[in-house]
Order: sequence, then structure tokens, then C-alpha cells
Amino acid sequence: MTAIANFLGAQIFQTSVLIAAPLLLAALGELVVERAGVINMAIEGVMTLGAAVGFVVIFGFHLTHSLLVLGVIAAGTSTALLGALYAWRIVYRNANQITTGIAVLIFDLGLAGVVYRLSVGPGASLPNIPQLGNVALPRLSAIPFLGPVLFDQNVFVYAVLLSSGPIVFLLFRTPLGLRLRASGENPKAVDSLGWPVLRYRFWAVVIGSTLVGIAGSFVPLCITGGFGDQTINGRGWLALLLVIFARWRPSRIFLGALLFAYVESLQFHLAVTAHSVPPSLLEAAPYVLAILALATVRGAYSAPSALGLPYEREARF
Amino acid sequence: MTQREAGLRVIGKEQPSDPTEPASNASSDAKDGRIHLNMPMRYAIAVTCALALLCIPLAALGRNPLYAYWEILSTSVGSKASIGETLNRWTPLLLGGSAVAIGMRAGLVNLGVDGQIYLGGIAATFVALHVGSMPAFLAVAATLLAGLGGGALYGLIPGLLRAFRGVNELFVTVMLNFVGLYLVTYLTSTVWNDPLSGAAVSKIIPSRATLPPILLGEAHIGVLIAISLTVGAHLWISRTKRGFELRAVGSNASAARYGGVPVNLVVVASLVAGGAFAGLAGAIEVSGVYQRLHPQITVNYGLMAVLIAFVAKQNLLAVIPVSLVTAMLLIGTQSLQLSAKLPANAVLMFQGVIVLAVLSQQRSRQQKPRQALRGSGATRR
Repeated sequence: MTAIANFLGAQIFQTSVLIAAPLLLAALGELVVERAGVINMAIEGVMTLGAAVGFVVIFGFHLTHSLLVLGVIAAGTSTALLGALYAWRIVYRNANQITTGIAVLIFDLGLAGVVYRLSVGPGASLPNIPQLGNVALPRLSAIPFLGPVLFDQNVFVYAVLLSSGPIVFLLFRTPLGLRLRASGENPKAVDSLGWPVLRYRFWAVVIGSTLVGIAGSFVPLCITGGFGDQTINGRGWLALLLVIFARWRPSRIFLGALLFAYVESLQFHLAVTAHSVPPSLLEAAPYVLAILALATVRGAYSAPSALGLPYEREARF
Repeated sequence: MTQREAGLRVIGKEQPSDPTEPASNASSDAKDGRIHLNMPMRYAIAVTCALALLCIPLAALGRNPLYAYWEILSTSVGSKASIGETLNRWTPLLLGGSAVAIGMRAGLVNLGVDGQIYLGGIAATFVALHVGSMPAFLAVAATLLAGLGGGALYGLIPGLLRAFRGVNELFVTVMLNFVGLYLVTYLTSTVWNDPLSGAAVSKIIPSRATLPPILLGEAHIGVLIAISLTVGAHLWISRTKRGFELRAVGSNASAARYGGVPVNLVVVASLVAGGAFAGLAGAIEVSGVYQRLHPQITVNYGLMAVLIAFVAKQNLLAVIPVSLVTAMLLIGTQSLQLSAKLPANAVLMFQGVIVLAVLSQQRSRQQKPRQALRGSGATRR
């Protein structure tokens, strides 16, 4: 019985939902970008930058309680600004999305470290910021199993779960979302109807970067408490891969985020209960799972047709 | 070329044999009315712009930027000890840059140099800890070859997945970086752990398995190995039939297949060769620099290697000077960390700005409609 409780208990699913929340938000941000026909290769860097800026603002101004949201806003604003710069290069200047993306990724990683070090100062001590506490919803949290898993979480998890609905609705059920998705499938057709393809793509990248940055800022705020080289640790890449595994469908992104978060949260629970499994090998589990998923899921045919391609009006295809 | 088959080409690469464009068009007005400078000129302008831009954070730190640049230069090549240190840093960057460039010549993005360095380091440490009473020459050779093999095996995974499952190698190599990091953490904290260190550090390897020094002990012989291997790889790619096939796959995979090139084999071979280069770098770091294995044997060399390959435009000979400049920047900013309290990650930011400036100078030519990120179908018959 204890073995089943280890793997399927409410506790581990509570941790999974917590870890899934930033992954889900980042993946939705990437989904918006990719559905518009742009691939944001810098997502890992953007997420790290969001985490660093969020941490620094909260740590630097000693924010607590409801003011913690200022750190999140700062993270979103900074990544939106850099996202605008990146979007201008790749959307309006037709720069190669992959090379530019990787260069921006490395720049963002460096900038995140610089911002962090400049505010915390040199030295070995790694300070922590106040963590978001769990808010148990009255009545709902008393439901067996589902109560603690879904309704005894922190505010951020609720915010992500609530905001993911409108994001998906906007993208899949409104005329604006239709035109945005069409610019990722057939930009020429969108252009021929007079809709501004490049503007859609630009704003998709800006909004996507903002969502990814906000997702990043929640990692130190809710999961790690501090910021370091290992804070984001591939969460951005996992979000990018998640969009691919999910074949650009939001419902599968939800499930995939939960699956990856479950595998990641195994390390916290098994490390305590099962001493035979080395913790560093458990930490590698999500990445191994990602490779296995890449090798088995064949999602390429459902990718947006114009994904990764610049749109040029004068080009003859 | 169908859209599906075009997926192999990921990087928008300059095609050297473009008949519509003269090879060197220094300061000549081309058809579109823009002034085109030649490549070194554009690089110089880009680097100057980047350096000017970077004056802002340096000034914000309260440093005279010009003095800071002078410090970067003087601490990286100012004395014999610093030259030795620069040469030691140059080695992994050169091998890593070549590894990425070899992949890019075949149209593949190898973002997994870090993981391949780790696996090379693991294999090299395993052999070095078991050399016994082997003669020193053989022990060093065995250690380096083990690193080569370890990295090559790690490059085989994305190669096979790409060739036979159509999986994009970029994502596989990124994920393998993390797996490699945790493998090293596991091995150094359990099996090979040095109990005296109290951290994830392995035991010291025997001295007979360490690389012989050059330059009066300031550097190790690895840099000579790295340069000769890079030149060798350049000759292999530019002068042999196999190298031609590699370039053919990189410029047009379906045309190459039509011409009888074994595309799958070339894809696997280029990633294995890149992995071998990076794995050798890991072995050299273990055997030449640290004499032990630990998770810090690569400090983002993989990311820097990709930037080096971008700036060198996948030309292996150009990788040599570009990686040297990167190594100087790395050593120079290390001293700025001490004197100007510049954070360690600043070097990534510096490089990012410089590479973005250089990329913006590389003329963005019209990209053909191709499925930029689809792995599938490209290499399947």
C-alpha cells in the first residue's frame, strides 16, 4: 500500500500540479507564438530572464504578500520588451528564426545572471525570497483527493488555471485567433484578405514572451525560492518540446504538462521514501522522457504549415 | 524539392556558388542599391557596435569602459601565465566550435556539445582511473581515445534518431545535455567520489594519465591536438569525396539523395564526428586541466561553441581565430569579475550581443519555403 501511496498519493499530485503550472503557462506562450508561424527558440533564456527579474525585484525591494505581484509584472514587462526586439528582428527584418533565437537565448541567459549578481552582490550566499503560501479554498478543498490536488494550491496556480481558459478561447474561438492561426498556416492568404500578417506575428511573439517570462518568474516564487544556474534548468526547453509533443493542441498540452511535472515531482517523493534510487538519476528522468517522447510521437505533420518561415510579400513561392 | 524533404536544412546558409553574386563585392553597389561591404569589414563594424553598446553596463558598474577593454586584452595575452590559460580555454572552445560547425555543414544543429563533453569526460575518467602501470604515453592516448569514443557514442543517439526516426537533432541534443550533467553528478557523488572534497568531485586521476605540458608548464598539449584536428577536419570536408557528400547533404538533402549520397549515413556520421570532437574536449579538460571529473568541466562551452560556429559561418578554418577571440574574452572577463565585480554570466551577454550584431550584418537572404523545424521525412526514403 505504501508503494502505491508513493506513486499515486494526493501529495505527489499536489506537487505535480504546482510544478505543472509554470510549464503550462510557458507552453501556452510558446503555442501562441508557434501558431502564428514563428518559433521562439529563446524560450529557455526568456524564462530564465523572467525568473531573474522577478526574483531581483522582489528581493531588492523586500516585497511581501500582495506586493509580490509587482515582481511578476516586472518580469513580464522586461521579457515583453526583449521579445519586441527579437520579434522586430525576425518578423520585420526576416532574420533566421533559429540562429537569432539561439543568440538571443544565450544573451538572455547572460543578462539574467548579470541582473541577479548586480542586485544580490558577489559572494557565495544565495538568498531566498518569501514563498507564495497555499490558499485552501473553503469547501472545495475538502473533496477527497481532488481537494488537496486542485484546491489547496497557491494563488499562482489558480491564476494559471483560470487564465489558460481565456488564452485558449482567444486563440481558437475568436476571429482574431483564427487570423492569428491562419498567419501561421498560410500567411499569403491572410495577407490577400488585407489582414496584417506581420503585425499578428509581432504581437504573438511579444505576448508569448510575456507569458513565458511570467511563467519563469513563478519558478523562484513558488518552487525553488532562490535563483541560480539550475533554477529554470531546461523547463523552457521542456515547454517548447511539450508544444511539439502535443501537436499544437492545448488539451494535449495540459496533459503533457501534468505528465512531465509528475515525473519531475517523483524525485522529491522517491528521494525521501526510496533510498535505493540515486536522486541525481531521478532528476534526469524528465529529460529522458522527453527524448523518448520525441522518438515515439510523430507530430510533425500537424505543425503550422508556415512554422519557422519568414513571410515576405514579394517572395514568389 | 518537396516541402517535406526540405526539412534537413535548418540553418539558412550562405551558398558559396551563387552565380548571381560576385564572390567578393567590396564596397560595390549591388543591384538592390545597397552598399555591400566585404565580410571582414562588416564583422569589424558589428564588433565595434557591440563593444560600444557594452560600454553602457560597464559604465553602470562604475568602470571606465575603455580601461575595462584594455584589461580584457592585457589579462588574456599580457603574460606567459595568462597566455597559457588562454590556450587552455581555447582548446575546448575550438573543438566544440568545430563539432558544431561539422554538424552545420550537413545542415544539422548540434546544441549538445556540453553533454558530449560530459560523456567524453566520463569515459576518459573511467579509463584514466584504470590505467594501472601502463606507460605514460599509452595511458594518455587511451584516456583521450576513450573521451573521443564517449563523445562519439553520445553523438550517435541524436544521429540515429534523426536518420531513422526523423527526430529533430536540436531538441535531442539539448535534452542529452541535462542527462549528461546528471550522469556526471551521479558518478562524481557516488562511485568515483573523492570523500575529502565534500562535493560532487571525482578522485584525482593518476599523473601518468595527465596531458604533457607545453610553454614551460603554463599550458597543455591539447591545444596542438585541437588545431591539428580542426585543420584535418577542414581538409576532410573540403577535399575528400565523403566531405563533399557531407556538404551536399547540407545544401540540399533531396538532391544529394538523388545523386546517390547515403544521406542517413552522412547525417549519423556528422553528428558522431561532432560528438567525438566534443568528447575529446571533455577528455582534455579532465586529463589536462582539472585531473578529475566534476560538473563544472564545461562552463557553457556548448552554447559558446554554437555562437562560434555561427560567427565563423560553419567554416572550420574560421573557427580557429573566432574561438581564440572567444577564449580571450572568457579569460579577460574573468579578471573583470574580480576587479570590476562583473558577474560571471556577463561573458554570455557579451557574446550574445556580439553575435547578434554579426548576424544582423550577415545579409538576410530570402529563405526558401522549407519546413524549418520538421525532422520527419527529410532523411527517409
